[in-house]
Amino acid sequence: MKHDIILRVIAKLTMPFMVLFAVYVQFHGDFGPGGGFQAGVIAAAAVVFYALIFGLETGQRLAPEWVVEKMLAAGVLLYAGVGFAGMLLGGNYLDYFVLAHDPVHGQHRGIFWVEAGVGLTVAGVMLKIFYMFAGRGRVDEEDR
Amino acid sequence: MSEVAEHYTYWVTIFLMVAGIYILIARGNLMKKLIGLATLQTSVYLLYVAPGKLIGGTAPIIAEGFKVYSNPLPHVLILTAIVVGVATLALGLAIVVRIREAYGSIEEDEILERDRAEDERRAL
Repeated sequence: MKHDIILRVIAKLTMPFMVLFAVYVQFHGDFGPGGGFQAGVIAAAAVVFYALIFGLETGQRLAPEWVVEKMLAAGVLLYAGVGFAGMLLGGNYLDYFVLAHDPVHGQHRGIFWVEAGVGLTVAGVMLKIFYMFAGRGRVDEEDR
Repeated sequence: MSEVAEHYTYWVTIFLMVAGIYILIARGNLMKKLIGLATLQTSVYLLYVAPGKLIGGTAPIIAEGFKVYSNPLPHVLILTAIVVGVATLALGLAIVVRIREAYGSIEEDEILERDRAEDERRAL
C-alpha cells in the first residue's frame, strides 16, 4: 500500500487526530468514559494504521521496538510506584488519599498516574503483538 | 410484543452468541474460527454490560438530586474480560501462525489430512 496516494494523504491527515483522541480519552478518564485501556489501544491503533500504510520499517521508526518494550515495563512500574508512593506517605498500598494535602486532589493525582501507567502498558502490549505478528513471516522468508 | 422489544439487548446477545458458536463449529478455516470465538466473547460482554446500565442512571457518586445509579461492577468486570479476550486472541493467532509455518495451511481438514497421512506412513 506504499504507493497509493489517497491512502498516504488520508493517513497523514488522520494520524494527529487519532493520537489527539487517544490523549483526550486518556485524560478524560477521570470524569467520564475513557481511561488507560481505551487510550492505549487507540494510540497503538494509530501506529498500527501508519505501519500498515507506510510499511513495517517506517512504523518501527515511529515507535521503535526497544521503546515499545521499555513502555511495557515502565507502565507497570508507574502503576506499582503510585502504590509505593502511597505507602511512603503513610497510607496503604495504592492509597490515593495521602498523595496530596486534600484527599480529593489525592484521588485525582492517584487515578491520573495509575491510568497513565495502564495506558503506557496497553499501548506497548498492542504494538509489541502487532510487531511480532507482522515481522514474523518476513524473517523466515529471508532465512530461506 | 413490547416485552420482546424492550429486551432487545438480549436478542442481540443471543444472535451474536449463536452466530459465534456456529462459525466456531461450522468453519474449517482457523482464522474464521478465531473470528467466531471473538464474536462469542463479544456477546458475553454485552450480556453483562447491558443490565448494568439504567436509563437515566448516573455514575455511582453521591450527589444532590441524583437518586438512580448505574451499577459499575459489571462494567469493571467486563473491562477485565475484554483484556483477557485480547490476550487469548493473541495466543490463538500465535498458535495459528505456528500451525501455518508447520503445515503450510490453516484449513482444518487439510491439517488433519496431513496428520493422518503421516500416521499411516509411520504405521507401515
